[in-house]
Formats: sequence, C-alpha cells, structure tokens
Amino acid sequence: MSVPEIDNRINGGAPLARPSGKRFNWDWVGVAPFFLFALLFLILPSISIFIRSFEAVGGGFTFDNIIALFTEQDIINAYKTSLGISLITAFAGGIFGFFLAYAVILGGLPRLLRVFLVTFSGVASNFAGVPLAFAFIATLGNAGLVTRGLENLFGFDIHQTGFTIYNMWGLSIVYMYFQFPLMVLIMAPALDGLRREWVEACENLGGSNFQYWRYVALPILLPSILGTMVLLFGNAFGAYATAYAFSGSFINLVTILIGAQIQGDVLYNPGLGNALALGMIVIMTISMLGYTILQRRSARWVR
Amino acid sequence: MSSESSRSLSSSIFLRGRRRGSNNSGRRRINIWAWIIFLIGILYFFVPLFATFEFSLRMVKDQYSFEAYRVAFEDPRFYTNFGYSIMWAVITIIISSLLVVTTAYWVHWRTPRLRPVVEFITLMPFVVPAVVLTFGLIRMYGSPPIVLIGSPVLLIAGYVILSLPYMYRAVDTGLRSIDVRTLTEAALSLGAGWRTILFQVIFPNLRVAILSGVFLTFAIVMGEFTFASLLSWPAFGPYMEEIGAMRAYTPQALAVVSFLLTWASIGLLQWIGRGAGQEQIAGAH
Amino acid sequence: MAFLEIRNVSKAFGENWAVSDFNLQVEKGELISFLGPSGCGKTTTLRIVAGFEQPSSGSIIVDGEDITFKAPNQRKIGMVFQSYALFPNMTVAGNIGFGLKVNKWAKEDINKRVADLLELIHMPELGPRYPYQLSGGQQQRVALARALALEPALLLLDEPLSALDAKIRVSLRAEIRDIQQNLGITAIYVTHDQEEALSLSDRVVVMNVGRMDQVGPPFEIYNFPKTEFVAQFVGTLNAVQVEVVNPENQTLLLDGQQIQAQSGIEGMRAGEKVMIAIRPERFSFVSEGKKANVLDGTIENITFLGSIVRILVNIGSFSFNMDTFNNPYLELPKIGDKHQITFSRQAVLVLNNGSQS
Repeated sequence: MSVPEIDNRINGGAPLARPSGKRFNWDWVGVAPFFLFALLFLILPSISIFIRSFEAVGGGFTFDNIIALFTEQDIINAYKTSLGISLITAFAGGIFGFFLAYAVILGGLPRLLRVFLVTFSGVASNFAGVPLAFAFIATLGNAGLVTRGLENLFGFDIHQTGFTIYNMWGLSIVYMYFQFPLMVLIMAPALDGLRREWVEACENLGGSNFQYWRYVALPILLPSILGTMVLLFGNAFGAYATAYAFSGSFINLVTILIGAQIQGDVLYNPGLGNALALGMIVIMTISMLGYTILQRRSARWVR
Repeated sequence: MSSESSRSLSSSIFLRGRRRGSNNSGRRRINIWAWIIFLIGILYFFVPLFATFEFSLRMVKDQYSFEAYRVAFEDPRFYTNFGYSIMWAVITIIISSLLVVTTAYWVHWRTPRLRPVVEFITLMPFVVPAVVLTFGLIRMYGSPPIVLIGSPVLLIAGYVILSLPYMYRAVDTGLRSIDVRTLTEAALSLGAGWRTILFQVIFPNLRVAILSGVFLTFAIVMGEFTFASLLSWPAFGPYMEEIGAMRAYTPQALAVVSFLLTWASIGLLQWIGRGAGQEQIAGAH
Repeated sequence: MAFLEIRNVSKAFGENWAVSDFNLQVEKGELISFLGPSGCGKTTTLRIVAGFEQPSSGSIIVDGEDITFKAPNQRKIGMVFQSYALFPNMTVAGNIGFGLKVNKWAKEDINKRVADLLELIHMPELGPRYPYQLSGGQQQRVALARALALEPALLLLDEPLSALDAKIRVSLRAEIRDIQQNLGITAIYVTHDQEEALSLSDRVVVMNVGRMDQVGPPFEIYNFPKTEFVAQFVGTLNAVQVEVVNPENQTLLLDGQQIQAQSGIEGMRAGEKVMIAIRPERFSFVSEGKKANVLDGTIENITFLGSIVRILVNIGSFSFNMDTFNNPYLELPKIGDKHQITFSRQAVLVLNNGSQS
C-alpha cells in the first residue's frame, strides 16, 4: 500500500485517496475483447475491401473497377435485378406486412392469433435460404403444387404466360416469405405503442376513426413504417443463399456476382470483386442510416 | 363527395359494433378486413409449406410415401454435416455469449457512454452482408502475413458476427429490464465479490435473455449457407444445396426437416421468453 | 332539474359487478368528486359518462337528453386523462386545436381560441413546443386546455394529478378549481386522494366496491361519516367495537370504561355490540379543559408530524391516535406517562355499514 501524500495546498491537507499521477483507464478493459474481435473480423475486412477496390489487376491504383460498376452490362443488369427485387419486396412487403401486423394487433382478432403470427414470423424469417428455395420449387416450380393445381382446376398454365420463379418478379414472391415476417416483428411493438388513450382522446374531441388514423396514428407510425421498409430493402439486397439455391450462379444478382468472384468462377479480377463488395456496402450503409434516422424520429415522440 | 362518404362509411363500420354493445366490455371492433388479411397471410405462408410436404411424399411414382425421407436419413453425409453444423453452432454460441454478455454488462455497469458505439458495431452485420464479409475475410486472411483460411476460425468468426445483433439485443434488453447498476451496487454494499455478483445476481436474472439469444443463434447457424459454402466448410446448409442440385424430392424432405427444426428452436425460445417481449428477428441469408 | 343525471347505472365485466346502482344528480356548475380506492368503480362510472363503456343497465341524462347510447365522439363532453394522452406528433397548439379542427372551425377562429386557452393555462409562449419537451405539470395543463377548447358542458377528469409530484399536485389542483369555477363548467373529478377530493369539491361521492357509500359536501363526509368504510377512508380514524349499556342515555362500554355518545344507538338493545369512531383531533388532555367523556390512558408513542403531534394512547386493549397542534413552548408528555384524555359526546361517531344516499 502506498503512503498517502500530504500536501497542505491540496484538499486542505487531508490525505488523498489515491496517489496523484497518471491513472490507467480501466474502463476499456471490459470492452477490449469485443472491440478487438470486431476490429479483426468486421472492421478491418471492410476497410480492406474499400482500399482494394482501387487495386488494378497487376497492382497499382485505378478507378477502373469502380467505373466498371457503371459500365459493364453484366454488372448493370445485376444491379438492376437486385435493386428491383429489393424495392419491390420492401414496398409490397412493407405494406402487406403492416396490414398483417395491424390485423392481429388492432383488428379485433383473438389474441391467440397474434401470438401465433408473431411466433410464426420468428420462424419464417429464419426459414430463408436453401430450404425456402426448395419450398417454392415445390410450390411454383414446373412440377409445383400450385402450378399443377391451377392447370388441373382451371386449365391455366402459369408458365405459359412467361411466369417463372427464376426472374426478378418470381424471386420477389419468394423473398416475401421473410420480408412479411420481418415487417410484422418490427411493427408489432410499434403498433402496441399506440396508446389507447389517444384513440379515446381523439373520439372525445369529436374525431372519427378515420381522423384518428389520418392525424394521429399514421403520423406517429410513419417513421417506423418507412424505416422498416428501408431495412427490408437492405435485407433483400444482401440476400444470397435463397437465390443461389435456385440455380447456382445463373440468376444475375449482385450478391451472386460477388459469390462468383469468391469462388473464382469468373475471370479473376480482385479489384472488381472488391468494387462490387464496396458498392454493396455503400448501398447498405445508406439504407442503414435511413433506418436509424427514421427510428430515432419515431422514438422521440413515443415514449 | 366520395371521400366524405368513404370516411363516414369507415367510421360507421367501426362504430357500429360499439353502438349495439350493451354488455360489451369496452369497444371491440370486429373488423372483417382484419380477418381477410390474416387469412391471405396464412394462405401465403402455409401453401408453400404444405406444397413442400406434399412434394416430399411423391418420390415413389403414383403414390404417397416417405421414401424421400428414408433416402435422406440413410445418407451418412446427412449426419456428418448435421453434426458439423451443431458443432459450429455450439462453438459460436459459447464465444458469442461470452463476448456479448461481458461486454453488455460492462457497458451497462461501467461505461454507458460507449453504448452507442457498441450498438453501432452490432448493427454493422446488417451493413456488411454475409457474402461481402466473406469476401473481405478471405482477402485479408487468405494470404500472408496472417493466413487463416485453412482453419475454421473464419467460419466461426463469421457466425459470431452474424449472431451479434440478436445476441446483443437480447442481452441488452434483459439488462435494461433489471437495472444492473442498482443491483450491482446493492450486492457490493452487502460485501459480494465480482464472481458472486456475476454468477449469483446478474446471470440468473439474465437467464431468459441469454437463452433466447442462444436459441436464435442456434437456429441461425443451423440454417446458414453463405459462410459455409463460400469458405468451403462442411455444414448442413451447403449439404442441402448439394442435394438440391443432385436429386429431386429429397431436397424437399430436407426442407421439411429444416423447417421443423427451426420451428422447434424458435418455439422453445418463445416458450421460455414468454412475456419478456423480445423480437426475434432473423434476416435473409 | 339536475344538469347531469346518472340513473341506476350498473356495469358488469363478466361475473364481476364493477358498478352497482349508481344514482347521482349533479347541478350545473358543480364539481363533484368520485373518491375511493383502486377498483371501487369510480373510473368505470366516469368512462360510462364519457361513452367509452356501455352500462349494463341504467342511463345517463345530460341537460334533459338521454345520451346513454350516443357515441363518445358526439357527446360534447371534455375529458382529461390520467396519462395526459397528448398526441405526441402535434405541437401544444396543435393538440389544443385538434377538437376545433375536427369540428371544422375556421383557421383564424382556431388560432384565436388556442391563444386564449394558452393564456388561461398560463403558457402563452409554449404553443410551438412538442409534448415531449414539456414537464408533467405542463402536459396536464395542455390536456386541460384541449378538453376545454370546445366549451363542453361537462368536464370529466380521471385522476389527472396522480402522475405528478406532490408540490405540483397541490398548485395545479388549485388552478383546476379556479378555472372550473370561473368558467362555471360542471365537472366530475375522479381521485383516490382524499385530500384532493376534500379540497376541490362541492360534493364528494365516496365509493366502495362499486357502490356509493355516501354523498355530501366535504365537511359532512369528513365529520359525519355514515359507514365504517367512509370513516376509515377519509382522514385518519380511530375505530373500535364497544358494547351498548343503555340505549336511552347513549351509554357505551369501552374496555371497562364508560363513555357516552350523543346519538346513534337509539334502536339497539343493551349488550349489543356496535362500531364507533372518533377523529384524532377531537381528543384533548383533561388539563386543557374537561369534557363529557374521560378516559384513563398511558402514552405509548409520540410522532412529530410538523404542524401536528400525533400521540398514541393506550387504554387497556385499545390504542388510539390523538392529534394535538404543535406548540414549541409546551412540553410534550413522555412515553409511559399516565394521562387523562377527554372528548365530547358529539365526537363519538356511531357507524353502521349500510350505504346511504
């Protein structure tokens, strides 16, 4: 134990609790492993992606890879498809997911159905990936149940119309299987947060149910709804397994392209893969930022 | 005016239930649209499940049988891959829970100012999806000075990162609901050491939260495909995809098995965490 | 004719009767409190008047019109909620003006009215603020202004102050009473705080498990409670069971000592047991002047409460609280001292358990 210093100019001469001087900031010790882990396996790889996007095939700095993102037909198509699916499923998934959540929480349905839907949503959002692809092959594929059913019952062959689950629209239908649940899971607490007293106060002041939704409920919910839609967008954009399980690398999505780069299927251009990855990070960051800002906005009001 | 009439129409639909109710406790708006939407949703969710099951029974021509399942379960590689996935899941759960619980506790107890930083990091896995992260990891650790490609370190690291948002959110919610600082201070004032505090005060109260994170991580790792496939490690996900490319009917049988497995995990999770009000969200893969 | 009449209202939730046989006539401009513990049915009754619940039987008549089955958004009744229920996405001005907007007032009229109301609640600058930027007391004032915006004939307040700090509660309740009296608006005020009810109301309705136990001005409720519940709930009380000695001259036997009441045991027989109650402030020391009844007691405990000193006196098997005013120059008795305590005959309240109207 160290002898307490006695200096009459400080503290009126009373001994100091600790010897003065540099103190080791113990605050960092507890979080160090976590930060170290994140640094090694998340942050540094991301930074390396950023840096190497500018790497030319033989070494050296170039913008070529970034430019290729906007000029090469394959890549442009991949982005188009990816963005298309993401927008469609974000929008449609958001809207129907919201209605679904509304139905079980505020729609007067038995409480059991709400519990069921929320539990099922937890499962369904995890069912994504390979099994989901198999499931939809069995449903809407060439020998799928719905395909056969429609043919047998109505003589209507959906594949004649050019429908297929292997394109942007078809894949969107598949993606909904995890987009709807995600929307339900996030919106359920938000809908719960609509206090009953607001409805009553609105009624008491002469407002109708429509006016309640128009002036009170929707404005309050809008940031959450939009924010979750943005999340849905990012979620669809980053999906890989489901699409891959359908047909290997034959569907043209950005994620598939990146995967191909990893597997060395295509002509090996390290910089290009990085640029693709970078492009993806940029889009996801924007979407994440949008989500955070909108969530902050709604959290401010509803406490 | 059409908007006027639609407004009064909707009000009257909602008000009608109330006006009649004399023995109604409160206002129950029985909404026909709610039922319709709910049924459409159920239809969308269950038709594929049913279709998959039906499909999986059709291996033998012109009759329903469980042949596809027999084939699936007779494949020794089913068990090896499944076993590998379980192993990855267990390792991931151990590392992830240790990392997350200690960090979350530390942040709550000691450094609340760091909370936004930690939370930001736990949101990053959404910004860097699996494919991209795999790409980055292989780039960085695929060549000297640090070569990790040969070992499962990258796979586990990827899984831990994947599980971070859910683990952290579960534990964080749990910590928030038990007012960590006050409990810790109470225990300290009664003379408890850190070991006692952690194991007898904090963890028991976090049991539900930790368990829910564990089950969620388990479900995620068991169903995961991207990391395992791209990093070339045996796991249930890539195995299923392989079967899908080679065979018919058996993949659907595997899908049914996978669905039941997920349902069991999440169901258990819900049952354990009842009333704790957590969101169990898994994203796309 | 009464302005508001609540006639034979009962309400059941399943097997449970939350409100039974509620009958009340409220005059225009009166402020009536519903007072009682949680679960006594006061809020349910209020919500029936507001239209958020339907009575199982009975009717609500306002200004001659039966509004029992009218929708809540057509009743022109203002309501202030316990949790304020301000719309979080609207400013203060937006909240106050919401009812006006919904009733299609012209914009300039809305602005003027909102400004007037902001003056009324002493918050003229805070129109553009959002609820989350206000304190609890401010939010409640805005809720009040919002309810008053449409000049309703009836104002309902559901425990409006219970979420606030003690000091704010006291000042805000005076403000609410002021506004209510200035505007001459009829009001029903639900609370579980008896001090609030006593200080604010023209009349108080004390409720117990769905029934009205007593209705009357605060003075009457406090000093002449009709049932044991009312006597216990309103103010502190000493209640004890005694035996009738002589019903004619109102003599009772309390733990071996005889005392006399003023009235209340006329119809009873000697030997019967009855509950009586005596307010703590009605006791005094014999040294300060002797009254009709005298008891021998021992000081058991002394609690200093500020302006009041509460002394616990024991007479055998029964201890009672005695309140005296604080006097810094008077020496307090010590624990264990023997003293003679006196009280008048009128101080003895004979309680029965029936409900009165």
